[in-house]
Amino acid sequence: MGKLVRKTGIAILWLVIWQLLAVIVHNKILLAGPVETAGALARMTSEPEFWDSISQSYAHIMLGIFIGIVLGVVLSLLAHRYAIISELLSPLVTALKAIPVASFIILILIWIGSENVATVVVGLVVFPITYVGMENGFTAADDKLLEMAHVYRMPGFNQFRFIYLPSLIPSITAAISLAVPMGFKSGVAAEVIGQPLLSMGNGLYKAKIYLDTGDVFAWTFVIVLISWVTEKLILLILSLFKKGGRTK
Amino acid sequence: MTIDLENICKSYGDLKVLENFNLEIENDHSYVITGDSGKGKTTLIRILLDLEKPDSGRVHLMGDYKYPYLNAGVVFQEDRLCEDISAVQNVVIVNKKNSVKVAEEELKKLLPGDCIYKPVRELSGGMKRRVAIVRACSIPSDMLILDEPFTGLDQENKEKAIEYIRQKQGRNPLLITAHDAEGLEFCREIKL
Repeated sequence: MGKLVRKTGIAILWLVIWQLLAVIVHNKILLAGPVETAGALARMTSEPEFWDSISQSYAHIMLGIFIGIVLGVVLSLLAHRYAIISELLSPLVTALKAIPVASFIILILIWIGSENVATVVVGLVVFPITYVGMENGFTAADDKLLEMAHVYRMPGFNQFRFIYLPSLIPSITAAISLAVPMGFKSGVAAEVIGQPLLSMGNGLYKAKIYLDTGDVFAWTFVIVLISWVTEKLILLILSLFKKGGRTK
Repeated sequence: MTIDLENICKSYGDLKVLENFNLEIENDHSYVITGDSGKGKTTLIRILLDLEKPDSGRVHLMGDYKYPYLNAGVVFQEDRLCEDISAVQNVVIVNKKNSVKVAEEELKKLLPGDCIYKPVRELSGGMKRRVAIVRACSIPSDMLILDEPFTGLDQENKEKAIEYIRQKQGRNPLLITAHDAEGLEFCREIKL
């Protein structure tokens, strides 16, 4: 309880500092205070366009995250099974990790246009994170247990379920808690550059054009909130899965 | 079945662990390999299981042996159990033919019945050791290889374990490593 009080206190303190700064700067374009931001948020949420933008963007970004995770998991399983696939994918994954998101966005815009830019970019960002996370999980599996499994000729499925999975779950959990926020950040960036209509990125862009800093803050708040809730939800589902695995 | 270990040599750097080691392992026979730590007991087992290659010499699986590898029930120097799951499950998962019912019966011969469904991480060292012994004896194998299987067992449990192993051994060869051959007088002793 004491911890909660302290955390709330700290949050309020920062809000007050933010409000004070806004009062001192006294320029709505340079810095909108918490009061203006809350006002902007209240106004935005009353417009149907806002909800359409969120649902459109959310669907696109989530689809990208889903594709990225599925690709990462499936390809890492194949790479674990067949060394040649691992070798083939290695330079691709390295390249995907190194290429700036902005370059992806521009390239995807040229190739497929703005409609689905967020989905593809998010997929390309999430895939290597998941893939590398799975790789780490495979490496972390207990060598001594694997040797035991080899000597006993333990059925392959049991090896996966009882030796690999316990080390894959923490790795994939860490990867997902990194991949989801990264997905939202890159997805919105793709929308700001690509300008698909009715999207969170488009909302941000419009706020920028009208120099409406309060709206920028409000959109940012919404995006962070959605990303955070999504990440926690996915991790909750994963932890249920993990618990399920523990029981007999 | 006969396994012929022929002139096995193995060294790690300057340390010679095995030098021209010869042994013929036959059905109906039991062997205990004694020697201080670092004398190559575990190395010998690893070579027998093809987990390590000897520097020179060969392991022959003689006769018309049906596998290209030695199909053995093994207790390793460490327990090597999956810690998150129960003793029963540890026994069941190693072989398709193992069933919960049989695993339960076998484990109860060496362990108190109330602990065999607890996650293995909650068991004591001696209990884990016994789970490892039961697991080794549970699979359909052609040989038992036990690397210091009685570590952490008191006298009573050691005797029970020996009796259990003898009964499960059948006609297959048995190879045990130990610091001394106490209680293992039925085995042929090989000093390293």
